[in-house]
Amino acid sequence: MSNDLAHGSLSIFDDRPEGRIVFLHLDTNGIVTVRNGHVDLGTGVETALAQIVSEELDIALDRVFVVLGDTDSTPDQGPTIASETIQITAAPLRSAAAQARLAILGLAERRFNTPACDLLSKDGTVFGPDAAYGYGALLADHELVMRLDPEVPVKDPALYRIVGQPVRRRDLPAKVTGDFIYIHDLRLPDMLHGHVIRPPYAGRDSGDFVGRSLISVDKTSVAHMAGLIAIVQEGDFLGVVADDARRATDIANALKVTWRMPPDLPPLDHRLEQTIRDQPSTPRVVDATGDFESAFAECGTQLSRTYLWPYHLHGSIGPSCGVADWNGGAPLVWSGTQNPHMLRADLAVLCGLDAGEIEVRRLQAAGCYGRNCADDVCGDALLMSRATGRPVRVQLTREQENLWEPKGAAQLMQVQGGIGQDGDLGAYAIDSWYPSNRGPNLALLLTGRISPEPHHAMMGDRTIVPPYRVPHKRIICHDLAPIVRASWMRGVSALPNTFAHESFMDELANEAGEDPVDFRLRHLDDPRQADLIRRTAQAADWNTHAGPRFKKQGRMAYGQGFAYATYVHGAFPGTAAASAAWVCDVAVDTETGEVTLTRVFVGQDQGLVINPDGVRAQIHGNVMQTTSRVLSEEVTFDAIAPTPKSWANYPIQSFDRLPQIQTLLIERPGDPALGVGESAAVPAAAAIANAIFDATGIRLREAPFTPEKLRAALVGQGQGPTSLPAPKVTSRRRRIWAALASIGSALTFGALALPIHSAIPVSRAPLAAQFTAETLTRGAQVFATGNCAGCHTAPDGVPNAGGLEMQTPFGTVATTNLTPDPETGLGLWSFSAFERAMRHGISRDGSNLYPVFPYTSFARIDDGDMQALYAYLQTLPPVRSAPAGASMLAPLNLRPVNAAWNLMFHDPAPLPVDPAKSDLWNRGQYLVDGAGHCSACHTPRNALGAEQAKRALTGAMVGEAWAPALTGPDADARGWDEDSLFVYLRQGYAPDIAAAHGKMAQVVDSLRSVPDSDIRAMATYIASGITPTPVIRSKAMPQPGPASRIYQSTCAGCHTPGLPGAETAARIPLTMSAAIRAPQSDALLSVIRNGVEAPLTLPLRDMPAFDDQLSSEQMDALANYLRERFAPDLPAWGR
Amino acid sequence: MGRMDFQLNGQHRELTIGDREILLDVLRDRLGLNGPKYGCGLGQCGACTVLVDGAPARACVMRAARVAGRNVTTLEGLANRVTGQLHPVQQGFLDGQGAQCGYCLNGMVMTTIALLERHPHPTDSQITLALRDNLCRCGTHQEIVVSVHHAARRIAEAADVE
Repeated sequence: MSNDLAHGSLSIFDDRPEGRIVFLHLDTNGIVTVRNGHVDLGTGVETALAQIVSEELDIALDRVFVVLGDTDSTPDQGPTIASETIQITAAPLRSAAAQARLAILGLAERRFNTPACDLLSKDGTVFGPDAAYGYGALLADHELVMRLDPEVPVKDPALYRIVGQPVRRRDLPAKVTGDFIYIHDLRLPDMLHGHVIRPPYAGRDSGDFVGRSLISVDKTSVAHMAGLIAIVQEGDFLGVVADDARRATDIANALKVTWRMPPDLPPLDHRLEQTIRDQPSTPRVVDATGDFESAFAECGTQLSRTYLWPYHLHGSIGPSCGVADWNGGAPLVWSGTQNPHMLRADLAVLCGLDAGEIEVRRLQAAGCYGRNCADDVCGDALLMSRATGRPVRVQLTREQENLWEPKGAAQLMQVQGGIGQDGDLGAYAIDSWYPSNRGPNLALLLTGRISPEPHHAMMGDRTIVPPYRVPHKRIICHDLAPIVRASWMRGVSALPNTFAHESFMDELANEAGEDPVDFRLRHLDDPRQADLIRRTAQAADWNTHAGPRFKKQGRMAYGQGFAYATYVHGAFPGTAAASAAWVCDVAVDTETGEVTLTRVFVGQDQGLVINPDGVRAQIHGNVMQTTSRVLSEEVTFDAIAPTPKSWANYPIQSFDRLPQIQTLLIERPGDPALGVGESAAVPAAAAIANAIFDATGIRLREAPFTPEKLRAALVGQGQGPTSLPAPKVTSRRRRIWAALASIGSALTFGALALPIHSAIPVSRAPLAAQFTAETLTRGAQVFATGNCAGCHTAPDGVPNAGGLEMQTPFGTVATTNLTPDPETGLGLWSFSAFERAMRHGISRDGSNLYPVFPYTSFARIDDGDMQALYAYLQTLPPVRSAPAGASMLAPLNLRPVNAAWNLMFHDPAPLPVDPAKSDLWNRGQYLVDGAGHCSACHTPRNALGAEQAKRALTGAMVGEAWAPALTGPDADARGWDEDSLFVYLRQGYAPDIAAAHGKMAQVVDSLRSVPDSDIRAMATYIASGITPTPVIRSKAMPQPGPASRIYQSTCAGCHTPGLPGAETAARIPLTMSAAIRAPQSDALLSVIRNGVEAPLTLPLRDMPAFDDQLSSEQMDALANYLRERFAPDLPAWGR
Repeated sequence: MGRMDFQLNGQHRELTIGDREILLDVLRDRLGLNGPKYGCGLGQCGACTVLVDGAPARACVMRAARVAGRNVTTLEGLANRVTGQLHPVQQGFLDGQGAQCGYCLNGMVMTTIALLERHPHPTDSQITLALRDNLCRCGTHQEIVVSVHHAARRIAEAADVE
């Protein structure tokens, strides 16, 4: 390394509208810093730019430092879109590097006193005839400042040593260790956390309700919450700032906000095509060569086709994040933006500042494939930083990102064309509608800084002109404003336009009876493009064929498809990026309609290749991502907003769909480098559609190509599954009204005979100290066996103070206070009052208790245990708590009715001992049927709410939970036996059979203080009731469709994981799930909605809640799918 | 709230933890780690994966209190603490250039460690099945499969040397 202290540098600058930009700076340490206004979206373009500079400057790659996107130092080269970085914005860097090398050689000429032609520059050193100097040493004492010369001669590509070589990504070493700082990882001193609260019109950006829908914010609703710093509101912008991210989220969730609801969206699901047509649009004729109408009329073969493309999510794996520091009015903003300069201009409008007063520093984010929420979140952060005067970080949730990101736009393409008398393509017309714009910054819209008037951007014309020779053309781009927030996404409008062009060409070739590749080549004049097609077809072993081949083996049909396109970007007529050709092989399962890509071969002509590994990585990524978009992705909408809030209902590509991907990079080192970021995506949809056609003869013109769409077409053609099982529908039995009717009549005839109980006078309970330790231990065990605390503790309430609301079919009962508080608890209850309540369901004051308090079981508790329990209760810390009384449906709100009920259903006699059974069994019966009151949940009840003795422990619905069968063949079917019951009751988890959750997890938690011998006794008794049953399971899987995709994207990772053994995965196979095997779907729906939160004291696992993620229709569909797939021996649930 | 002891990347930690605090929040927001990433909060994408007693765990759906007394390893804890030498799986991902944006990389590396314990010489289909529940939107799947093979080779080589 040269002398650090030596002065000297070389700078190459240019004066641009945004100011003086130093493109290149070389210091005496031999370090070169170059600046580019584009950013690295995770593609590794930083490495490629460094290669270009390293090559032109003859300096080692590790000496090149690339600054990307910082607004204070880099040029405004527009958004990082359209694969332009290498093709366009790298040009000044290349010139600057070449210019710097010439300047260094000039210095060397003088130092060596040797003409430059006799000097050699290499690796940052100039070699003379007999000496060598590093660039840094040559620069010492020179301050060279030069204006950029775009015309400076650059290296002959034939001499390249670094460009064209595979180079490893320079950012990966830090990424693989966690040292790399993404925008998400930036933490500033004194930083606060903002959580935004968005309006109900998610993902919409035009209409007079935008910015004007917030009615009120009740700040007092959260004023007490810890960590609150500020609530920031302006127009419809609303955010909570707190000292901690989790607290900010909790406060935002608790804040009471009232919004005006927006008008409905036009239908975007099944009527998407018509909705797009119905929008106001402006036709823009971009090519009207010849006379299309007349020529089309003369074509012997005429086709008119419509193709439809759905809305897509960008789906960055990391939801957007931004940090802003108001910094006393000279804001600093850290961002993962695609377009730092455009963002800066937006933020200037937002805050009424000049753009020059704001600095945007760009950090890498999760991969971004177009305009996501990266810019929005910076506006959010800046508003909240301005309000608090401190740096604020905003991290969007997955849901916020999904709902609000400007979507990849839907697109409608209508094509007409024909083959003339000469057999050639005679006329071609396309009309393309692309409802999209540049995605105005959300903070500008929400605050009302800019008008929410609908407006379009002219971006529907990418690759809108087909590359083929057609004498008569009519190419029309219909410009229209977004219907929902939509902006550019990888392939922009070129991908759907090419879906239309290249599907249509295949349709024409079929009509003409020609091979699709030959047909294209016959109409292609550009030799370079023709070369790409020929070489790709040859290298990919293209199977020449005319018309679909219907190659079939068993239920599988196999096909091959071809498509090709040049991605044209920028304002029309645009600039060509790389051209790509696809040959893909598909396998279609004609029973299910599933399409599997077995191989994708991509040939690509990108001119000069900078980094072949980087180019291949882009091709692979485009293939995987676009295949997913084509086969399965589609944003769905409800009446007012998009619905995919998580990956649950927007599944993306996964490893099990990885086809074999092969690439052919056409070597053209003498030609300029062309952008490769999107080109390989563009032919994808048509190539896949063409392959499906070859396999099945079915032409799909609406993406995505889902199994259900293809299945329907196959059935229509007589190729599909011969018969689809019709869903069984059974009506859900509702017997509550019948129950009420009969109890009403019970009241009528029984009223006179009702025993009226007397109150037992108050009597201060004995002090706990009066009982022996042995008695208290025994009482504690009875208390634990009955899990008394479980029902007598409200959620987040004081233990045993009551207040848990017990839902019954007849109304709601709040549990009572068990603590010895004299006024509200049992403190003034004598033992006889307590015992009467436990054995007869009569309260101290003489009123009847509702049988939801399981005195029918507790009556079996023997005297010793009863006394011990009473003693133990006196040791509980007294708590003053008087839960609300019961709220029951008439006539059950009349407590005397319960007295009648007792006459009919309650037998308070002690349990007889069965001498034929073991002591252990008898002990088990005593615990299970007494204090344990297992029957309270597991035994079905009759219409009057009484346990049905004949069906004891055969399983019952408890509210929304299913308490499964503990006895009979159903228990055997799940694999229960004495040992597994013991393990389950001991730890809440019996391998491969069950893991406790909900109330049962509380029970097991409570049983921790019960000795093994009693647990064993309960297991012994319960197991004695299990009877064997043969289980017949069919193996048919339900047909793939929306529900199977939800299962795969949201359940499978934990319930049928690709890699078993994860600490957070479910341990019980779903075939064992009690909820799935329950007689109705409520229990399963409850688990899906609410998740599982098991006691931390047990070695159990939790499950997240999905109530906010899925619609009720989706949850029903998922529940039915789970039933069909994992309980195939049971009938379908009816709804 | 309760005190909790656990081992994080080989170091003893003691924290006061709320019953509902999520492990990912504790690791990132309270302990300043960057390896595990927030991606979905529902255990759907795998970007937050850490190892708990050697088994992969989705830190975004695991309550922090569940790691009391246990060993948690994050991406930061894989390299040799003394020599700084990368874990063979990290090295394998550099060999195979198994990332584009790299946001999912943490989950891919952590899951691969668990995969290679189970299958030291995995086939392509074992790899694609094991990583099926880890999402990558950039489409780096092919490079990641290659990286896993590199990682397996490096582990085997290291074992030979020992």
